Amino acid sequence: MFGYVLPEKPELKIREYETFRAYYCGICKSMGKRYGQISRMTLNYDSVFLAILLSSIAGEIPQMKRERCIAHPMKKKYVVRKSDIVDYASDINLILAYYKLKDNWKDEHNLLSGGGILLLKSAHEKLKKKYPEKCAIIEDKLKELNELETSKCNSMDKAAEPFARIMEEVICFEPLCDDEEREKLLRVIGYNLGKYIYILDAYDDIEDDIKNNSYNVFIYQFDINKNNLMDYKLSIRDRIDFNLTYALGEISRACKQLELKVNSGIIENIVYFGMLRKMEHILKAGSCKKVEESL
Amino acid sequence: MKNPYEVLGVREGASEEEIKKAYRELVKKYHPDQYRDNPLSKLAEEKLREVNEAYDYLMKKGTGGFGQNTHGGSGYRDTGNNGNIFNQVRSNINSGNIAAAEDMLNRMSNRTAEWYFLKGLVFLRKGWYDEAYSHIQTAVNMDPGNFEYRNVYNNLNNSYRNYRTDAYRRGYNNQGPDLCTLCQCLWCSDCCCECMGGDLISCC
Repeated sequence: MFGYVLPEKPELKIREYETFRAYYCGICKSMGKRYGQISRMTLNYDSVFLAILLSSIAGEIPQMKRERCIAHPMKKKYVVRKSDIVDYASDINLILAYYKLKDNWKDEHNLLSGGGILLLKSAHEKLKKKYPEKCAIIEDKLKELNELETSKCNSMDKAAEPFARIMEEVICFEPLCDDEEREKLLRVIGYNLGKYIYILDAYDDIEDDIKNNSYNVFIYQFDINKNNLMDYKLSIRDRIDFNLTYALGEISRACKQLELKVNSGIIENIVYFGMLRKMEHILKAGSCKKVEESL
Repeated sequence: MKNPYEVLGVREGASEEEIKKAYRELVKKYHPDQYRDNPLSKLAEEKLREVNEAYDYLMKKGTGGFGQNTHGGSGYRDTGNNGNIFNQVRSNINSGNIAAAEDMLNRMSNRTAEWYFLKGLVFLRKGWYDEAYSHIQTAVNMDPGNFEYRNVYNNLNNSYRNYRTDAYRRGYNNQGPDLCTLCQCLWCSDCCCECMGGDLISCC
């Protein structure tokens, strides 16, 4: 996961902001408690969205407690506790983080990801036993993704498919999938979320990938002019914009059809403001690159 | 542009005679002479312009041969064997059997506008928006007069716009000053001040 799915802070109500933080801290603590302190380093905003969305559909009112934590030893903060959904989101966070590290290790062989794999190995073994089907599907899709990369796939739809399918799988929290219609809508959200993340990440990485000679679908889909990268990025921007916005449109449509029982304000903020902002930020070539707001 | 058949009030694929007849009647109906000193004159003028446009469009297309437009009725069915397969593809798409529809299309070698259109629909159902868009665009370019293709094409663009309209209506503001613009503003103001002999930021 990549942290492209986050709320627009100035538009959140204070109460919503506190709730978002409480879920964030809840996931972090849930990981720490069950899989050791190191696993908390992998925490990611995308899984917070997952937790909030799933609990909203389940109608679960978060049980919040004020607790201290290593990162903020001076101040007590709200933390969501005793929630299966938060536990699930933290499991997923860890599973995806592990596969991402593995992917980094394969591409770059940097020590950080190598060390991370070793440290997370035992946690991953546990998770693999807990979610054998999901892990099998994820591994399968990652293999597909690898094949597409080695065969220099030149279609963003094809290249984004495996990751979109992974997200589709991950968003299906078993207890909520008893209703066929609801599962279908969840899958739509997951699929389009994956698509959005993959395409946005690929666009964001064009420069780095060219420099490092790594695979990037856009280099193969659109004739690249390596001398003038800025013009190149500009020339494909509208097309990327269409694809991303279309995916966001599908997500918003599915969200409207789902019955969001609690915290719908936060979800709407992420779907209509946060993700759109993030995308416009990255598409706006040449503007400051890193304004990764910490929430 | 609106559907010219609708504007003229004739069925799609109507003969040249029918179109001419409908056109003459509408011109009589909306003629400016009928609306002198009438508050509706503006509206009538607008209508007449639409009618003229629709008529010109259909006549121009007609000289290319109404004959070729044997797809008749709904205006999309292709002639001959392909038409049959296309119908099966359509019913597969409608019943949600996307894989079968795609398989049938892939086995065809004759890539007509309709082939691109249907392939585009298949992609759209799969969630492959980029391929869907370019295929449907190709179909529209190959057969600009086909309203079904154009409709789907417009719907794609609308769906893109709808999400943004929704976001803006909820208060999304894309002009929000980010860090960059703020810096630029400061820098510009400083330059201006220096030009005028003053200084805003004394250290630079």
